[in-house]
Amino acid sequence: MKRAAIAEVQQVNVQHDGDVVLARQMGRQMAMDLGFSKADQALIATAISELARNIVNYATHGTVEMHPITNSRDTGIHVVVSDVGPGIDDIEAAMADGFSTGRSLGLGLPGTKRIVDEFDIQSTPGEGVTITIVKWKLR
Amino acid sequence: MAKVISSSHSNAASETQGYADTLSWFDITPSDRARVRELAPVADRVGDEIINDFYSHILSFEEAAKQFADDKQISRVKQGQKRYFQELVSADLDEAYAEDRRRIGSIHERAGITPTLYIGSYAFYLQRLGHLVLDAMEDDPAKAFGLVLSLMKIAHFDMALALETYVGAREKTIETQQRQMSELPTPVLKLRDGLLLIPVVGTLDSYRARSLTVQMLEGIRDYRARAVVLDITGVDSVDSAVANHLIQTMTAARLMGAKSILTGISADVAQALVKIGVDGESMNTAGDLQQGMELADKLLSA
Amino acid sequence: MAVRVPILRQGSHLIASIQEELTDSDILNLQTRILDEVVKRQADGVIIDVGALDVIDSFGTRTLAEIAAAVQLRGAKMVIVGIQPEVALSMVLLGLTLDSVPTMLDLDAGIAELKGSAQ
Repeated sequence: MKRAAIAEVQQVNVQHDGDVVLARQMGRQMAMDLGFSKADQALIATAISELARNIVNYATHGTVEMHPITNSRDTGIHVVVSDVGPGIDDIEAAMADGFSTGRSLGLGLPGTKRIVDEFDIQSTPGEGVTITIVKWKLR
Repeated sequence: MAKVISSSHSNAASETQGYADTLSWFDITPSDRARVRELAPVADRVGDEIINDFYSHILSFEEAAKQFADDKQISRVKQGQKRYFQELVSADLDEAYAEDRRRIGSIHERAGITPTLYIGSYAFYLQRLGHLVLDAMEDDPAKAFGLVLSLMKIAHFDMALALETYVGAREKTIETQQRQMSELPTPVLKLRDGLLLIPVVGTLDSYRARSLTVQMLEGIRDYRARAVVLDITGVDSVDSAVANHLIQTMTAARLMGAKSILTGISADVAQALVKIGVDGESMNTAGDLQQGMELADKLLSA
Repeated sequence: MAVRVPILRQGSHLIASIQEELTDSDILNLQTRILDEVVKRQADGVIIDVGALDVIDSFGTRTLAEIAAAVQLRGAKMVIVGIQPEVALSMVLLGLTLDSVPTMLDLDAGIAELKGSAQ
């Protein structure tokens, strides 16, 4: 898909749980600035919160990078959450509802996928995980 | 057939093919076109007369006369008619011709000219023209008859183009109205302290279901509601995505601290709910609004 | 900087009113303090007001459910109040339905709920 006019990238380094709060607040602010509905603002903040927490819980450190997407037809938010850590061996299992490798409810990834419009996960075991999500604004 | 004529978004090659198919459907052959072209000099001569006759004919009908604001408009329309008439007998019948007929069809549709007025007018034309042809070829009635038949084919082809445009425009209007129906704001009514009624009427698509969710949840907060009766008697059907959405909305209402009751579930809606795994046990439902209100009272006093 | 949620006593009830966004450690800290207070004060009811939160994710939901379960083990009752419309919707879409904990609209409704169940 063609995407144009990328403006003001925001990035948060994530290592501690305070960074998770900061990342989701920035996501919410960006969603608000782009005119997303209150319900969608909450969904974007929640998705970022879920993904950023995985960095704190399972990896050494990582980043949450977000930027607006604006093209002639649509407005959206593009978020890339990547970490340096053990990675995920079995992505299929991690995406199945009810899967848990540790402290999570097992809802983190599949739940997050449900509340965004696009979801992509890449992992190299021993190196880390990169998850990309996009939420489009309803026209 | 309808598809072929109205497929303006298909690619150019198949459109050209479709157009050729349409002409053969009407059995319009090169000899038809050649025959009709013979009429051109006659049509030029008698065109004005027929058109004048035609307008005195239609102006004698109140319904038809209403279409015209003043004499100036009438003379403008007469000019257009003359061109239409000349094009008919020149029988080019190329794509530009078809496009022009469609354009005229859409102008007529917008102006509120009904198919009856349109076809009736055409019949009047053909009848006059038919008489003229027979008069002009008194010595060869067989040829005259062949010419009239060719003329009929082209006229029907013309009418088909115009009517397809009518139907297309009408479908568009209906679509727009449905869209508007689905964008109707849903009222959130406070029946008494702590009790809301939300009557949903019309089409409940995903778009409207989303706004219903927001209105219901914000209504609960704003009115401090402890119970909500969601009445969907006026909703004919829902798909499983919308049914799912309704359940999620009722669950979210519970998280906010309000009980919700779904009433007026039609057979279709009940099936959609069962399909996504909902049963009467897991949610509050009532047959009709009255029973829903009674259930709400019971839940509120519990 | 850690956020310390005030826990107020009202009769035999405890009221924890969250005023700002909490980190995971803040929530865990709240969990410990509430359970300590329930034991120390012999409370029979706990209300957690989450009206100021605009995100309640899976960790928050799970911890709230754990607090409620532990409170119930002490023979007391817990109510969560003030979940905002968009937060409620996000929770449901995420699959967090918090089935085991009663939820009420606001503090007044929460207090009424605790009083009602005490009778």
